[in-house]
Amino acid sequence: MSITAPAVIDGPQTDYDAYSDEALLDPWRGYRMMRDAGPIVFLKKYNMYAATRYATVAHILRTPEVFPSGEGVMMNDQMNQVLRGNTLCSDGAVHDASRRIIVKPLTPKSLKPLQDEIQREATSLVERLIRRGRIEAVGDLASHLPVTIVSELVGLPEEGREQMLTWASEMFNCFGPSGPRTEKSFPVLAEMMAYATNQAVRGKLRPGSWAEAILDAADRGEVKPDQCPVMMIDYMGPSLDTTISAIGSAVWLFAEHPEQWDLVREDPALIPSAVNEVLRLESPIQDFSRSVAVDHNLEGIALPAGSRVITYYGAANRDERQYPDPDVFDVRRNPVDHLGFGAGPHACAGMNLAKLEMRAVLTALASSVRRFELHDARRPVHNILRGFTSLDVTLHT
Amino acid sequence: MSKVTYLTEVAHTVIDIEPGTSLMAAAVANAIDGIFGECGGNAMCATCHVFVEEGPFTALPPISDAEEEMLDCTAAPRRPNSRLSCQIPATSELDGLVVRIAEEQL
Ligand code: HEM
Repeated sequence: MSITAPAVIDGPQTDYDAYSDEALLDPWRGYRMMRDAGPIVFLKKYNMYAATRYATVAHILRTPEVFPSGEGVMMNDQMNQVLRGNTLCSDGAVHDASRRIIVKPLTPKSLKPLQDEIQREATSLVERLIRRGRIEAVGDLASHLPVTIVSELVGLPEEGREQMLTWASEMFNCFGPSGPRTEKSFPVLAEMMAYATNQAVRGKLRPGSWAEAILDAADRGEVKPDQCPVMMIDYMGPSLDTTISAIGSAVWLFAEHPEQWDLVREDPALIPSAVNEVLRLESPIQDFSRSVAVDHNLEGIALPAGSRVITYYGAANRDERQYPDPDVFDVRRNPVDHLGFGAGPHACAGMNLAKLEMRAVLTALASSVRRFELHDARRPVHNILRGFTSLDVTLHT
Repeated sequence: MSKVTYLTEVAHTVIDIEPGTSLMAAAVANAIDGIFGECGGNAMCATCHVFVEEGPFTALPPISDAEEEMLDCTAAPRRPNSRLSCQIPATSELDGLVVRIAEEQL
């Protein structure tokens, strides 16, 4: 189903370009404008609706009969073809079957044995970085656990693994609406798909790894063998960059709000709450989309079958209708209901791991770092991801 | 509205819940101790574990694959009447349900 304007467009419309460089670097005012315009707003430039209010985004994510993922959750037709059949882009029984396999190593119970190892690794990393003092927090700190521990658990062959960060980031860029920024990333995506098809195969994967478990499940007939490469993308795509963005944003927020860092240092029991607050305020994945399967009345607006709605997790998480003073960073807020991991049947399968990594890093930092002094922060202009390319900071003990 | 009773060792609370709101969300909104709902109601964390003790349990929704998987991860051992309260939206048929909050959740 291709992305074209519906014959009749009900509800508010806007010329606002949510994917201009300026909007991507600083989306908050645009989000507020769209939230105030209505539950959904038609983006004329992209021929898609935008959902930005908390209640509306939550409703869409929890109503897969009307808003399926099987037609893709990206904002361009080409990409919606490529990932067809992975966990992210499927519905119903097919989704249940692949999600069950993907989620197996990511449940709290499966992760429990890893908890100590991850904490030890985070603690020794922070000890090393403190001796250096001035660090680049994205490369030196935020990337460490995902790149060393998570890549090893996923178990893809060493050769090519170093490409994973570039691939994952470029893949998410391909999720955006058609345009030069998106098209520029397509060739890299082809490399990633080739790797998933030719390298993520029996004999090359680490025995006992998560990736190998996908092949084992296919051997048992639980998923179709031709689904395996796209299911590899379920791990390759979201397991690294998202968590790296989240840890980077945490460092940045605490550098900008030292009084919030003091609260965490005085009471480390606030760390789980702080993790949720970082994900609410700076959601690493800002938006995916859903197609509309049947004509649907959305809070009084007639949404036609065949159209597409972009679900802005990042805007929903700053909806003043849901969170008082939504732009304020408050580590005591504990917003467990934030939509940074999505909601409903496709809610992030890796959330327990992501939170475990974030908590481990913050726990290690809280025990020894008194202040983060920020010298320079750089963000990429990215269609989907919100985070940093570099964070030049000094850790003061 | 449906009245649901939440039991713990020390308290006994009755909440009038709007249809569609989950038993987890209602408990969190009413500050009932012992239910965390850490994953926001997505059957991903097993921190809203309850035992269904009394009432119209035939009207409960069936246990989905996702809930099944997570019920094997509960901190307090699973029992035959274990459920995740985030997976039970209130309905008028569930009026009078009594659940006991599992003591260990994290
Ligand atoms: C802070 C880090 C992370 C964030 C913010 C995040 C965010 C998200 C979001 C918003 C979705 C929902 C997609 C939708 O609505 O269609 C999602 C799905 C998913 N995530 Fe994550 N994620 C993170 C970390 C991870 C990790 C570490 C893994 C794996 C190891 C992972 C694996 C997945 C998978 C497999 C799905 C698809 C689930 C499905 O469609 O059923 N994520 N993630």
